[in-house]
Amino acid sequence: MKIKQSIAMLSTFAIVCGALLCMPAIGQTNTKLTDPEIASVAVTANQIDIEYAQIAKKKSTNADVLKFAETMAKDHQSVIDQAVALAKKLGVTPKNNATTKSFLAGAVKTRAMLNSKKGNAFNKAYIDNEVAYHKAAINEVENVLIPDATNSELKSLLQSALPLFKTHLAHAEMVQKEFNK
Amino acid sequence: MNKDLKRGGMILGSILLLFFTYSCGTPEQRAINVPEPDSTAANARPTHPAGTGLHFVEIKDMKFQPESLSVKKGDTVMWTNHDIVTHDITEEKSKAWTSGPLAPGQSWSLVVTESADYYCSIHLVMKGKLTVQ
Repeated sequence: MKIKQSIAMLSTFAIVCGALLCMPAIGQTNTKLTDPEIASVAVTANQIDIEYAQIAKKKSTNADVLKFAETMAKDHQSVIDQAVALAKKLGVTPKNNATTKSFLAGAVKTRAMLNSKKGNAFNKAYIDNEVAYHKAAINEVENVLIPDATNSELKSLLQSALPLFKTHLAHAEMVQKEFNK
Repeated sequence: MNKDLKRGGMILGSILLLFFTYSCGTPEQRAINVPEPDSTAANARPTHPAGTGLHFVEIKDMKFQPESLSVKKGDTVMWTNHDIVTHDITEEKSKAWTSGPLAPGQSWSLVVTESADYYCSIHLVMKGKLTVQ
């Protein structure tokens, strides 16, 4: 009887210890991104929006949508160019990570959705996605990438990109009104 | 002899003054990378006659800073792009004047003759205002 009780107590003890040992692992989901990982997220996120813009330039005939798409393609390429130049200067090789993969997985679905639409339905879908995408990107830059960046030049580039993305969001919301009348 | 010395001094002084004026003024103008999309821009170089005012607007963090500027007729306003992307400065109502694309680091200036609302035609939400007093 006593042996049974001892085994039960030992089992409970083992489970509690196991649970405690697992806790730091759960905490690791919030592990800070390294600078090479941040560079990868920055380049990937900008590249994805350029690809959305390229779809819009092919499929839309709306002047406001085309102008917005043109601005997205040029501005995000400018950010990529500067991020790549900085990574080169710092000797940093962008490194894929969970955030990059998450952005890429979302982009596959969004591109398929955009490619399935035509006319005004496409315009609305594109601009709605731009609003949502820029909100997500702003959140990521503001709350993850900037706080996690350790190199001052990388942090500064991200801080310069933040008002740019906020302006893109305001521009997208302005165009969006046209399709929500 | 005294007269010769005085004349020599005056000539030397004039040469030094000319040299000093050249060495101070020219590099400053060279440093300003001013695109000239039209004749207005050429006239708008900061070589305005003495007595007219010069104002500066910084394009930074996707804003014209200051957004609103009061000037006198004939004053020159110079915009400089400190952002990481290309902007332009365009009269909003009738597109009466525009800087054309202004790459990061570039400046453009305009002699202001009337009040105007202006914006960046690339980033439509960026707006500014010039008021002639």
